[in-house]
Amino acid sequence: MGYTIAEKILAAHAGGKPVRAGDVVVASVDFAMVHDARAGNALRMIQKLGVKNLPFAAKTAFVLDHYSPPPTIEAANVHRDMRAFADAHGAVLYDVGDGICHQVMPEGGHLTCGDLIVGTDTHSVTYGAFNAFATGVEGTDLSAVMMTGKLWFRVPETIRIELKGRLQPGVWAKDITLSMLGKFGAEGANYRAIEYAGPAVSAMEIDDRMTLSNHAAELGAKAALLEADHKTFAWLKAHKAREPKPVKADSDARYAERIDIDASALAPQVARNHNIDDVIGVPEVEGQKINFALIGTCTNGRLDDIRQAAAILKGRRVAKGVRMIVTPASREVYLDAAREGLIEALTRAGASVEAAGCGTCVSITGHLIMGDGDVAISSANRNFKGRLGNAKSEIWIGSAATVAASALTGKITDPREVAGGKWTARSTKEAA
Amino acid sequence: MNTDIKGRAHLLGDEINTDLNCSSKYLPGKDDAHVAQRAYEQVAPGFASRFKSGDVIVAGKSFGIDSSREQAVHIMRMMGAAAIVAPSFGRQFFRNAINNGLPVIECDIAGIVDGDEITVDLVVGKVAVAARNINRSVGVLPPAVQRILSEGGLIAFLQKHPDWKLA
Repeated sequence: MGYTIAEKILAAHAGGKPVRAGDVVVASVDFAMVHDARAGNALRMIQKLGVKNLPFAAKTAFVLDHYSPPPTIEAANVHRDMRAFADAHGAVLYDVGDGICHQVMPEGGHLTCGDLIVGTDTHSVTYGAFNAFATGVEGTDLSAVMMTGKLWFRVPETIRIELKGRLQPGVWAKDITLSMLGKFGAEGANYRAIEYAGPAVSAMEIDDRMTLSNHAAELGAKAALLEADHKTFAWLKAHKAREPKPVKADSDARYAERIDIDASALAPQVARNHNIDDVIGVPEVEGQKINFALIGTCTNGRLDDIRQAAAILKGRRVAKGVRMIVTPASREVYLDAAREGLIEALTRAGASVEAAGCGTCVSITGHLIMGDGDVAISSANRNFKGRLGNAKSEIWIGSAATVAASALTGKITDPREVAGGKWTARSTKEAA
Repeated sequence: MNTDIKGRAHLLGDEINTDLNCSSKYLPGKDDAHVAQRAYEQVAPGFASRFKSGDVIVAGKSFGIDSSREQAVHIMRMMGAAAIVAPSFGRQFFRNAINNGLPVIECDIAGIVDGDEITVDLVVGKVAVAARNINRSVGVLPPAVQRILSEGGLIAFLQKHPDWKLA
């Protein structure tokens, strides 16, 4: 019997002896991340213990993204303390406006294929797109890693998901995960790792692969792993990551479950308020009115998301009464979008383009609060009641293409039915 | 870690979100003691006032799902919870409980009634309610996790064993 990617990566970091799902191992971590909404807990613990020497600090990123910009003095003080702590111990600091943790971690070259990464955020699973075992942890875990470079892990069972066929133009990784959430439910993969494979994954560009891994957090996955290919290697090299140590699953690996999904049959999907697993095809809810359109977050705030939005909105105007906000996932994404003229196209179309950060996702900064009865279509990952500051507002979740098409019409709209909506990441490269 | 746990069972339902019911996430500025007096009030009125030190939380599936703040475990320890028995736990909650020295036991809870005297043996792997002839075998926690629990949590463990040696 062979081994899964999760088993192989954890074994390699726990001394090399083979491990199986269910085993508990103590493993060496390659890099860690802590963001401002969770840093307080970890820093207090380290200070309480009076630890002076943190050998792992240089391999820990401190990211100021959730309170970006800080809405209160308390949040501003958390930032002040994180800056001072990072400076004193030599941690890598990403300040307000640099970007969302899950974007700056790979962009900063902090991870590579075969790595073991932890972060104080459930969406840390994003790095699985680069063939790294990456998972979310809490403050105690993070302080243990900063002090020792190690952490205990229960080796997870793995679900192997084969994405057959190829997504139609205008249909994205987001739609795949939403349809899975509809089928298996939120937390449908709790405790377990997911391996995504198949021709539809190979055809995806890196941005969309990151969405696939990222959004597995809503399925409750402990990790969401892709195998590496030439696109992965090229991306990592361009971002000066360490030498990749790609890990493949054995063909006779032991899986908890194997699921085949035909990607080519899929239509754009949306999750209805207020549950991420209340999912329906866009064609079935077309005409539902919206008055907020939000593109951003660690799930869909990357360059290809902004490109598809601009493909739909360039030279046009969002519907009357619609407030549209675009928040690039990082400074690098913002600059790339500016260089390509996308920021100008979207701004002329009526969108406000904001500094990189988490503000589009959760009403933590206070600058995005909806009114009673307002309805948002958002490219974020969660639509809990009140997530955007008002329990009497609604949040629908879809791909960046669905958000842009809906902004154009003021109603939930299938991107394939508007001009530019069949834009694909691949086709621009071919055109270029 | 108390390996031989005996206390009253206090029942909670399925998919209890500890952020909502046992943290100050929605009670800004309130401390652990304040939350401990009101924990789970929305889902089980009077829960915290009935709960005595050494008692056991018996919950439905996916206990502690969603973002799961570590604070929830601090509060449950403050209440004196000796263990939590549930068919399944939220992943991060499970880690938080172990890391803070609170035993978590995956076990079918069918037939257990609020107020029952429940015993948990972590070493043998057994959950029992003698009055109802309930006697269930459960998986024994791996030695590494037992060791973290017996030292009172991950930080206490690392203070004694900074090199992670489990022997």
